Amino acid sequence: MQKEAAIREPLILGHKTYHDVTEDVCRPIEDKAPKMWYILFGIALVIGLYGVGSIMYLLGTGVGVWGLNKTIGWAWDITNFVWWVGIGHAGTLISAVLLLFRQKWRMAINRSAEAMTIFAVFMAGTFPLIHMGRLWVGYWVMPIPNQFGSLWVNFNSPLLWDVFAISTYLSVSLVFWYIGLIPDFATIRDRAKKPLSKKMYSILSFGWSGRAKHWNRFELVSLVLAGLATPLVFSVHSIVSFDFATSVIPGWHTTIFPPYFVAGAVFSGFAMVQTLLLVMRKAMALEAYIHTKHVEYMNIVIMVTGSIVGTAYITELFISWYSGVEYESYAFLNRATGPYWWAYWSMMTCNVISPQLMWIRRLRRSLLFTFFISIVVNIGMWFERYVIIVTSIHRDYVPAAWSMHFPSHIDIAVYIGTIGLFFVFFLLFARFFPVLALNEVKSILKGSGQSYKESPDYHKHH
Amino acid sequence: MEMSKKYWKGIDELKQTPEFIKHKEQEFVNQQTVEEFLADENLAESSTARRDFLKFLGFSVAAATLAACEAPVTKVVPYGVKPENVTPGMPTWYASTYYDGSSYASIMVKTREGRPIFIKGNKDFGFTKGGTNPQIIASVLGLYDSARLAHPLAKGQKASWSTVDAGIAAAIAGAKKVTLLSNTIISPSLKRAISQMASNMNGEGGVKFEHIQYDAISYAAMREANLLNFGSRIIPSYDFSKAKTIVSIGADFLSTWLLPTEFAVQYGSRRNPEADWMSKHYHFESVLTVTGSNADARGMIKPSEEADVLNYMIKRMNGEAATAGSWKDVAERAISALKVSKGESIVVAGSNNIGIQQLANQLNNLLGAYGTTLDLNNTIELHQSEDAKTQTLASNVAAGNGPDVLIMMGVNPVYSLPNGAAFAKGLSKIGTTIAISGFEDETASLCTYVCPEHHQLENWADYRAKTNEYAIGQPTIRPLHNTSSALESLLVWNGTAQRGGADSAVAYDYIKATFAAMNPSGDFNYLTHNSCTTLDIESNALAFSAAPIKQLPKSADTEVVFYQKSAIGNGQFANNPWLQEMPDPVTKVTWDNYITMNPVEMEGTYATTYDQEHGLNLATVSVNGKSLTLPVYPLPGQAPKTIGIALGYGRGANGEKIGKAAFQTKEYGGHAKTEDGKLTPIGANVFGLVSTGATFLYSAAAKITPTEGTYPIAATQIHHTVMGRDSIVRETTLSIFKNHDKDAFNEGHKLQKLDKHGEHVEAPVSEFDLWAAHPVEKIGHRWGISIDLSSCIGCGSCLIACQSENNVPVVGKDEVRRGREMHWLRIDRYFASDEEAAVGVKKDKENFNYDNAEKAALNPSVVHMPLMCHHCNHAPCETVCPVAATTHSNEGLNQMTYNRCIGTRYCANNCPYKVRRFNWFNYPSYKKFTEINPAQDDLGRMVLNPDVTVRTRGVMEKCSLCVQRIQATKLVAKKEARTVNDGDLTTACSDACPTEAIVVGDWNDLKSMIREKSESTRAYQALEEVGVKPNVWYQVKVRNEENAVLEHIKVSAHQQH
Repeated sequence: MQKEAAIREPLILGHKTYHDVTEDVCRPIEDKAPKMWYILFGIALVIGLYGVGSIMYLLGTGVGVWGLNKTIGWAWDITNFVWWVGIGHAGTLISAVLLLFRQKWRMAINRSAEAMTIFAVFMAGTFPLIHMGRLWVGYWVMPIPNQFGSLWVNFNSPLLWDVFAISTYLSVSLVFWYIGLIPDFATIRDRAKKPLSKKMYSILSFGWSGRAKHWNRFELVSLVLAGLATPLVFSVHSIVSFDFATSVIPGWHTTIFPPYFVAGAVFSGFAMVQTLLLVMRKAMALEAYIHTKHVEYMNIVIMVTGSIVGTAYITELFISWYSGVEYESYAFLNRATGPYWWAYWSMMTCNVISPQLMWIRRLRRSLLFTFFISIVVNIGMWFERYVIIVTSIHRDYVPAAWSMHFPSHIDIAVYIGTIGLFFVFFLLFARFFPVLALNEVKSILKGSGQSYKESPDYHKHH
Repeated sequence: MEMSKKYWKGIDELKQTPEFIKHKEQEFVNQQTVEEFLADENLAESSTARRDFLKFLGFSVAAATLAACEAPVTKVVPYGVKPENVTPGMPTWYASTYYDGSSYASIMVKTREGRPIFIKGNKDFGFTKGGTNPQIIASVLGLYDSARLAHPLAKGQKASWSTVDAGIAAAIAGAKKVTLLSNTIISPSLKRAISQMASNMNGEGGVKFEHIQYDAISYAAMREANLLNFGSRIIPSYDFSKAKTIVSIGADFLSTWLLPTEFAVQYGSRRNPEADWMSKHYHFESVLTVTGSNADARGMIKPSEEADVLNYMIKRMNGEAATAGSWKDVAERAISALKVSKGESIVVAGSNNIGIQQLANQLNNLLGAYGTTLDLNNTIELHQSEDAKTQTLASNVAAGNGPDVLIMMGVNPVYSLPNGAAFAKGLSKIGTTIAISGFEDETASLCTYVCPEHHQLENWADYRAKTNEYAIGQPTIRPLHNTSSALESLLVWNGTAQRGGADSAVAYDYIKATFAAMNPSGDFNYLTHNSCTTLDIESNALAFSAAPIKQLPKSADTEVVFYQKSAIGNGQFANNPWLQEMPDPVTKVTWDNYITMNPVEMEGTYATTYDQEHGLNLATVSVNGKSLTLPVYPLPGQAPKTIGIALGYGRGANGEKIGKAAFQTKEYGGHAKTEDGKLTPIGANVFGLVSTGATFLYSAAAKITPTEGTYPIAATQIHHTVMGRDSIVRETTLSIFKNHDKDAFNEGHKLQKLDKHGEHVEAPVSEFDLWAAHPVEKIGHRWGISIDLSSCIGCGSCLIACQSENNVPVVGKDEVRRGREMHWLRIDRYFASDEEAAVGVKKDKENFNYDNAEKAALNPSVVHMPLMCHHCNHAPCETVCPVAATTHSNEGLNQMTYNRCIGTRYCANNCPYKVRRFNWFNYPSYKKFTEINPAQDDLGRMVLNPDVTVRTRGVMEKCSLCVQRIQATKLVAKKEARTVNDGDLTTACSDACPTEAIVVGDWNDLKSMIREKSESTRAYQALEEVGVKPNVWYQVKVRNEENAVLEHIKVSAHQQH
């Protein structure tokens, strides 16, 4: 049993026993869903279906239903893609990197963060697919043997790297998440009374028996997967940034993109985790497990990554001026003062100023303020991608080709639709899956539970 | 010991089992023959189980269903007997002549399997020397317009030719007065037929027959002025290639004025700065036109000031004092240039005011232009509009006093007369009205009889556009419909011929006879082969004599100019979607006309910028009590206190059947309808505002008032300056070019590198390379393009030729507005801003104001830059395609494999030149494009070039450097067992260019023109510093102007440095 310094804030509040933990996590799954769940699910489903319908229309008619043009070949589609991939970053970081760094506080949030990651990557993956002119031949991006002659994919293309990066990331995240779920599914299985749910959960739990050997393997696999997933956290967004960094377009062709994108992704991912968990802990009565300390930790991550992002912005500006390259300087001048100045300054306000507020302890421990900032950060991060993509290509080298981008209603519908679909998935997850890694949380109960820390025995061991 | 190892295939072989030995010789075990199998007695006993049967049944049904899903088989019918000279897959070219009432050119028509599909200028024969314009090139599409009349009409109903002919003959016989209103007839045969008609009818006493020539755009003032000054209604030939100084007062001679097909070629030949001399071009005008945009110096004047400029110059040439307006500086420079180039200069005036033309004559006479640059003996026979007679006829018809029979041939007076509406009403009071017209247009739809005319490409015709040249127009396809040659109709009505049906030789025989009479020793077949022949002309000994100047236009506070756009002209091509979608060379607006106004004047009242979602403000223009509302377009260089509106729009105001593309379409397809259910015309017809008098006048006093509302505008370019970037367009002055080294006018980009000693040194961009270079030099072909910005006039012919050659889809106004035009070749037009000394040269590098740089100067200099795929050797598009759909050929081409493309658009984003075009929709089938894209029309589809794939939805496309032509060129050379010679290859754009600004060829051919051009001191590559190593070279634009600021920056400042 690992012990924690008594002066550290406990990670589990109240007088929780092991049974309480099980109860708290399993109750929402076993009880009837509250009316609010149905309402939220209904809204998310309607929005999601609207998005699906718009995608159908898009696929049936052509990419022209979006607001793109001859100059601006990517806009909301790839903005949304990068935005969702970025959001999908927090999960693996929390589960893998924080696992390697033995951050116990991650145990309360990793399950839902990983779920969020997977659903976000689903949403992200939608965009590269539907943005294709001919989705039906999209499988040509896979290096599969074919009858077209010696026709192979182009390994030089960053888009191809994307295919590998995203699919690897998705599969590793999915496996990692699922491995973690197995003991918890077993717990639910053991408690289930209805035959159908017992059957379902017993299939899902892969015959977990809780033997020491199982736990041993579980720990090993987790560690190995964490080791595998850690480089992925950095590779995925680095590779996504290569889409831009390897191009010749001023504003895209930027060597600082990989670290800058990774920091931005973690930044937005944690913000999204905050948004979701602040609601979830209330709705599912998990205040004892996810509380101010967790929020504070996450806010510190937001502050650090936000500062990295802010530094990157300013570095970019400096380098564009310092380079003396006509096009590069203009690209950044145009971002700040051109027709899309409002997007640039929204980005700067949301991403540079708001994380700095987290230096103030009172603010970073305020749940309401955190919720507000988490939304602001994700708005800012959407604008960051929009600014990078659209303001760079709308005015690049040849002024006669300069153009403007205006989204069509289908652009908006598809974007909003993916948010709807994301919540459909997340609400289903919250309803049927253990939202807290309950068996992992139990492992820190005695080390970091409030009642144990306050009990006189706790100090005796020292 | 055994020397060799023993190999065995299986354990059986090793052990030599009996089984193995038995089958050793058999390659395949169990070789039962079919006979043996069938002879098996037990075979019949084997049964198919019920389940198996159902499986087979299910499979068969599924297989049959799948087979039925296949597309219906379309049969290609081969030639039963192969026609002579037609080889499937090989084009047949015909030399012919184009004349539509205003444009004239000797042309070459390309036919494939009997279908004309491409037109280019004839560079070998004819005085137009290969010059064409966008309308001529696009006219091939008109042949396949499904709205063309397919049969004669009598009282609006389908009728046979015999009925119509009988009715017309009876009407003529019973008439007291017959009037033929036609456009300018330059056909000797038609003239002969008409004079026969006149003598037949007028022989019986009294004048029964009258022939009036009427053009929608009149040049009557020139003829009237020449009548006054020379005693003859002629228009002399102009030779711009002999003129060292050209002064144009409102004459857009490179695009719309008089005979641009000839003038552009002549002009282009003298815009070469490397030659002994380069012409100097001064231009005064109100609306910035194509010609004005090419001028070396341009003065902005009101239409009423045209006479002032001429008067001023006449007085100053005579050494007298005179007063001048804001244009004084340009006028003075023009005068000093004129003074040193007497006998080598031309003055042209665009106005249709007789007095102004008299002044121009006077000035030309002063300059000794007659007999040198102007040829009074060899006259231009085009444009014989008789304005006074037309106006009398029009008012008579409107008043109900028209002739008994009115034949209208090649004219559309209901549309193009200022009192067209009244004329239309009057037509109903005329006993018999006859229209000879290809369409049931505004006029024809009101006529008793409509006699559909052949399309030019179906017709035998002869022309004499200049007195010394006789030309033939020959059919290139059997008539598609039950139409007839106009000549034949006249002959039939005159009683001198019988209808000849589809394969009629009436017109042919008649033309042959005309030619024989004119040139008894001439060989008609030889004539047909060349399309034209020279005729001997006599000297007419005309001499200038002064005459009192007729009335000059009065000035007004605000004046309006009615001008022609190079694509739409007088409106007869309003139904041609290629032309409607051709960006105006100056404004870059498609599918509309508008009010042009200087943005400086618009500030505060009207929007001066526009994009996809932000349209232009509307305004109402009133002229002589008539008014109309149009959007106001910010046109830099528009003279203050003037506005301009293009003629030729607003066709089909009553929904006449003039062609699907002549009407506005809706966002999701289908025609837009007006409130009363009619089709909505494109733009507004301003012929109604043209003033009448001695001649038709295309300028007037006007009042303009802002009107509520905005109007979406579809422009292919929404940013108009080059932002001081010196790597895109380069321009210099002739004196810098002549007197200084390359660095002063074409400085290459340099980067820093470390030399052997570790010192920083500058090196040209070409030395730097990220990758190992593709071997490009001396290995096979390497195709390239050179574009001379000095001789490019921005006319747009190349763009239309490219569209015609490469099956480029038409996407319509709504899509162009969204920035999705598909043109493979575009012409970028840049205005100079006040921040620049010349386009692309910053006045002050340190204090360059980007906001000001976005605004064009009040009267900016202009550069036109044709831009297509640069076929980069290090193409950024190629590396980013995930599926290798765009790759590099070993001949230097950047190739697009349409059927491999999955449509990620990454290549387009990564293209520094932004030349890639994406198929946002399925243009050949999506409902939005039914009305406008010829590929969606059964007949329109015939224009498609069979050598070029029609692209489907979701794939990228772009200039292929006419790869189909490259292949054909190589094959021809291979068949003749030789290498490809320089000049064998032409692309659509280089074919079309009237000024030979575009040169293509094999760069690896060391003696080729392209190689020579690429190595000239003027050669540069756009965006060279990006390092993409393109195969396109530009030649620096050289202006024959004085530019002290540029000189200071490029020479003085440089030397100090």
